[in-house]
Amino acid sequence: MLEARGLRHTYERRTVLSLERLVLAPGTRLALVGPNGSGKSTLLRLLAFLEAPEAGELALGGLPVRSGRERRAARHRVTLVEQRPYLFRGTVLANVAYPLRLRGNPRAAAEAAASGALERLQLGVLTGRQARSLSEGEVQRVAVARALAAEPDVLLLDEALSAADRAAQHALFAAVAEEQGQRPLAVAFASHLLEEAYRWSNDLLALHQGVSVPVTPENLFRVELPGGGGMQPVAVGGITLDVVCDRSGPATLAIPPEEIVLSREPLHSSARNSLPGRVVRIAEQGAAVRVTLDTGVELVALVTRRSVEEMGIALGTRLFASFKTVAIRIF
Amino acid sequence: MLNAEVLGITALSLRIAVTATVVACAIGVPLGFWLGGTRFQGRRGVLVVLNTALAFPTVVIGLLLYLLLSRHGPLGGLGLLFTWRAIVVAEVILAAPIAAALTAAAVQSVDPRVRRTALTLGAGPLATAWAVAREARFALAAGVVVAFGRVFSEVGAAMIVGGNIRGETRTLTTAVALATSQGEFSLAIGLGLVLLALALTVNVLIQLLQGRDDA
Repeated sequence: MLEARGLRHTYERRTVLSLERLVLAPGTRLALVGPNGSGKSTLLRLLAFLEAPEAGELALGGLPVRSGRERRAARHRVTLVEQRPYLFRGTVLANVAYPLRLRGNPRAAAEAAASGALERLQLGVLTGRQARSLSEGEVQRVAVARALAAEPDVLLLDEALSAADRAAQHALFAAVAEEQGQRPLAVAFASHLLEEAYRWSNDLLALHQGVSVPVTPENLFRVELPGGGGMQPVAVGGITLDVVCDRSGPATLAIPPEEIVLSREPLHSSARNSLPGRVVRIAEQGAAVRVTLDTGVELVALVTRRSVEEMGIALGTRLFASFKTVAIRIF
Repeated sequence: MLNAEVLGITALSLRIAVTATVVACAIGVPLGFWLGGTRFQGRRGVLVVLNTALAFPTVVIGLLLYLLLSRHGPLGGLGLLFTWRAIVVAEVILAAPIAAALTAAAVQSVDPRVRRTALTLGAGPLATAWAVAREARFALAAGVVVAFGRVFSEVGAAMIVGGNIRGETRTLTTAVALATSQGEFSLAIGLGLVLLALALTVNVLIQLLQGRDDA
C-alpha cells in the first residue's frame, strides 16, 4: 500500500536516513525500533508526506507521490501522531471531529462519529473536556483517537503512547488491531520500548544511525576496532570481547539475543566469549523470555520459558552468558 | 446644536476608522500570513521594510498623498483630495503595515506542530492557514486593535489630506487640534473624552469576544 524505495534524507549535511526498501501493506503492524536519533521520526515524517525526501521514491496504492499536490492528496490517506501531539484549542470532541469536518462532513455527523470513536477507545469521559486541561498521557490518547477518526489507510505513531499508562496503551493497541480486522489499515509505530514493540507488531524494522540493521537494538555497542586482522580483542564498556573482523576504526557490534546461551557454570565449549553476570530484568514474551544480564554491560538473551523455569532463573541469579565469536555481527 | 455637530464628527471618525481598519486588515493580514508562514529569499528584507513602515511619520504620508491627489498630481483626476475617502486611503497606508507585521509575528509564534497536525489530518492550504489563525487568534485580534488605534487616533495625515472641513472631513482628532488652537479648551477636552471613551469601548468589546471564546 505505502511503499518506499531508496529513501535518503539529510539534515545540515548529515545523513539521518538511508533506507533501501520499506513496504507497509494492509494488516501490517510494523514496529520501528532503535535508539534516539536513529532516524525513526525522520522516516515517519517522510512516510506521512509532511516532508519530501531528498532522494528516493514513495508510492501510495501503487502510484508514485512526487509533487506537492500528490503529497497533499496522499495526506488524506496517511496520518501521523507525533510523540508530543498537538490538540487544537477547544474541546476533545471538536478535536476528534476535526478530520471529519475537513472531509466535508456536517458538524452533527462529524461529532456523532467522533463521539463514537472516543467511546470505542474508552475515552468517552474526556469528550466534553477542554483540550488544554488534559494530561500528557490523555493528550496522546485523544490524538490517536483523532488520527483514527480520519480513517487513514496508513496510521503512523511516533512514540505516540509514551506517556500513557499500560492499561491505556493496551486499550489503544487493541483498538487499532480490531480496526485492522475490519478494514485495510497499515500501522507503523516507533518505540524505544522493545517489549511494546514485540507485543504489538507483526513486523519489525530496526534502525541504527539512519540505516536498517538486521538485528534488534538490544546488545548493540559502538566500539573502536583496534585492527590487526583475524581475531581482535575489542573493549565494550568494561568488558573485552573477541571479535573476528578485518576492519579497524569505529564500528557497531551486535550480539543477537537468540545467539546467547545462559548457563549456571562457565561453559567449556567452542564459544570464546563467556561472561559472568547477574540477572537484572526478565520480560516474558509468549513462550520466550528475554533475560537481561548485567555483565559489566547489559546483555539480553532470548531463551524459552521452560529453560527459565528449569534453571530457576530469577532476578539476581548469577549466570554466564556465552556466545560464539562468529555470532557477533559488525556493521 | 453643538451636540449634533459632535455626533456628526464622531460618526464620521468611526466610519473612517472602521473602513480603514477593515481595508488595512484585508491587505495586511493575508500579507502577514504569507510573510510569517513561508520561507523565501529576501523575506528578512521585506520584514525590515515593514517594521520601518510602522514608524513612518504620519505627516509625511499625508504630504506624499497630498502631492499625489492634488489637482495637478498624478492621481488628481480621482478628485479624492479633501474628502473622507482620502483620509481612509491615508489611514490604510498607515495601518496595513501594522496589520501585516503583527500578523506575521502572531503566525511565527504559533507552535509549528499546529501546521503539521492540520496537514497530517488532511487539511489543504486554506484549512491549514485557518487552523493556524484559530490558534493565534488572540495575537491576531491584538493586531486589529492596534491597527484600529493607530487609525482612530491619527491626526497629521487626516488634517493634510482631509483639510478639516466642517461637516465633511472634520474628525475627532482634527477637531480637537482646531479647538485647541482656537483656545476652546472645554470643547477640546470634551472631544478628547469622546475619543478616549470610544477607544476604551472598542477594546472592551474585543476583550469580551475573546473571553467568551476561551473560558
